[in-house]
Amino acid sequence: MLQGALAGLAAGGLYAVLAVCLTLMSRLVRVVNFAQSATGMFGCYVAVFLSVDWGLPMWLATIAGILLGGLLSALLGWIVSTWLAEADTGTRSAVTVAVLLLLISLSFILFGNKPQPFHPILDGPAVTVGGVVISQVTVVTVALAVLVAVASRIVLSRTPAGVQLRALSERPTTAELLGIPAKRLSIAVWAVTGVVSTLVISIVAPSQSNDATSLAMLVVPASAAALLGGFRRLDLAVAGGLGLGLIQGAAAQVDGLSVVRYFLPFAVIVALLLWSQRKEVWDAAR
Amino acid sequence: MKPARRLVALAAAVLLATAGCAGAESGASGPIKVGSVNALSGAATFPEASQAAKAVFDAANASGGVNGRQIEYKALDDKGDPAAAAAAAREVVGRDEAVALVGSSSLIECEINNKYYEQQKILSIQGIGVDPACFSSPNIAPANVGPYHDMTLTLLYGSETLKLNDICALLEIAGNTLPSYQAAIDEWSAITGKKLKYLDATVPYGGSDYTSYIVKARNAGCKAITVNPVEPDSIGQLKAAAAQGWNDVTWLLLTSVYSENYAKAVTNAGAGVYVPAEFYPFTDTASPQNKDWHDLMTKNNIPLTSFSQGGYLAAKYFLEVVRGISGDVTRESVTKALREMKPITDPMVGTPYVFGPGQTHHDNTAGWPIKLASGTGKWELVANDWLRIPKK
Repeated sequence: MLQGALAGLAAGGLYAVLAVCLTLMSRLVRVVNFAQSATGMFGCYVAVFLSVDWGLPMWLATIAGILLGGLLSALLGWIVSTWLAEADTGTRSAVTVAVLLLLISLSFILFGNKPQPFHPILDGPAVTVGGVVISQVTVVTVALAVLVAVASRIVLSRTPAGVQLRALSERPTTAELLGIPAKRLSIAVWAVTGVVSTLVISIVAPSQSNDATSLAMLVVPASAAALLGGFRRLDLAVAGGLGLGLIQGAAAQVDGLSVVRYFLPFAVIVALLLWSQRKEVWDAAR
Repeated sequence: MKPARRLVALAAAVLLATAGCAGAESGASGPIKVGSVNALSGAATFPEASQAAKAVFDAANASGGVNGRQIEYKALDDKGDPAAAAAAAREVVGRDEAVALVGSSSLIECEINNKYYEQQKILSIQGIGVDPACFSSPNIAPANVGPYHDMTLTLLYGSETLKLNDICALLEIAGNTLPSYQAAIDEWSAITGKKLKYLDATVPYGGSDYTSYIVKARNAGCKAITVNPVEPDSIGQLKAAAAQGWNDVTWLLLTSVYSENYAKAVTNAGAGVYVPAEFYPFTDTASPQNKDWHDLMTKNNIPLTSFSQGGYLAAKYFLEVVRGISGDVTRESVTKALREMKPITDPMVGTPYVFGPGQTHHDNTAGWPIKLASGTGKWELVANDWLRIPKK
């Protein structure tokens, strides 16, 4: 059970990083970015293509892929903040669903539906504690999740840019009238989350199945994790991601529960929604 | 031999024409219509089988066709969708009035269409049969071994040749395949008297992270794992084992992972990935067994895969049977000829092919053991002969 739970921690770290990205996006630019992991997937696939077909060294191709993921995300941010600046969160998020489907289809067209020959950046176990193996990927993803959350926290609370970002998310129109460069800041947020999610997927993809659909759909468990913090709190998003990974890993060890394992993110989403909406009256919540 | 046969055919045609019987058979001079239903788009695609069958028919047409008649081959897409699979079968069988189906390869087609084929009294030589109905229907006889006998073979190789105990099974079950895999495992138990350490049939298709299943297998003390995976899943499972530092596990897999792409994508294969190839291993390109197939595929730019081997063989069997038909080639005569055919031996397979009158067709019981070792990035042969399931 413990070994199983720890085995799920690598996935948990990945969910946590993506959940932090989702939370940042929702707080700062009013978007639930469904294409969060799809941009990462696409960046990784391009990296593999560059290393296999163009013969670039692995590290260079990976960096190129990560930059491309950031660029894609920034482009999407530019589109949303140009044409949907005043739109509500629902409309802005709907655009990203289209992008998610576009990127999955595009990767099928460009790279086929066969698995990609990823070469691992990190491979093998990091430490063994009392017969329990913790892989290198686990250590890195969990550290990255905490690091990204802490760094975002510091930037938002201690730097001028962070204060401007918070002003933008609270009162966009007022902030713009005060002369805060709204568009540039929003696109920067998009770019940063794009880079971070491509980075974490680059680390994880070689160590698991890596077809386009399963990588792009990582956004579902990540959303479940972000929902724990109500898409507002970074610390809870990290905790949610790690917790979900642990539960999934432990559930797979019990025969009766392993079927449930793949519905867990959905179950968690439903449970959290029911809980967070428990005080709503029917009329107002409709 | 062939020119002589063509002379006889020509003489017969002349005789028939002079005797004024030419009009007695409808469509005796038109093309012979043959169809297939394939996974050409959708989640998993296998276009090579029907491409290979087409290449065989094109070559036959170029050298004069069958008894002077050309073969018109049509490969339809089932999109991985039951409704599309049913529609495709009706188009080719009902509207085009095909004489037989040759070289189909699909995940669902047999299940959906086998009853319809029985109604229409048409036979299908499947290039690659996957779902259980391909091996349990009176009107379908695939050219390949199929995943179920393949599972028995991979277990036999693991327990008898590699002398491995503590074999565990992680099965990815789609649709109604579990009883067929269970039967395959039971057959292995009946032959060897051995039992699996445990069987987990809850492994998901297209899962992203298989670490927890691997951990479970390792903790249970499995020395070898048999899986029926699709390529991406298998790669995920191997990587999960490598991340856990589990490097002494042997993988007993099926032909579904036998590809160049897979070999390139696997960096750490534990103690080795073993597969009983359903046809003579295509990676052994210099072999005389595969020469004709290899030349035809490279000439037509068709990928060298097990699927193209299956499609190629299905078309060859069909041609051989049809060329032996005296009289007109119709659905009735083709069906009769296939039911009464003598077994055809081919060096690409370990079991002679025969359609025959049986209610089920699951007679191909030989695979050629191959191995993928860590760090080599390519498949190698590990036997000098076919591995066979012993006769009961």
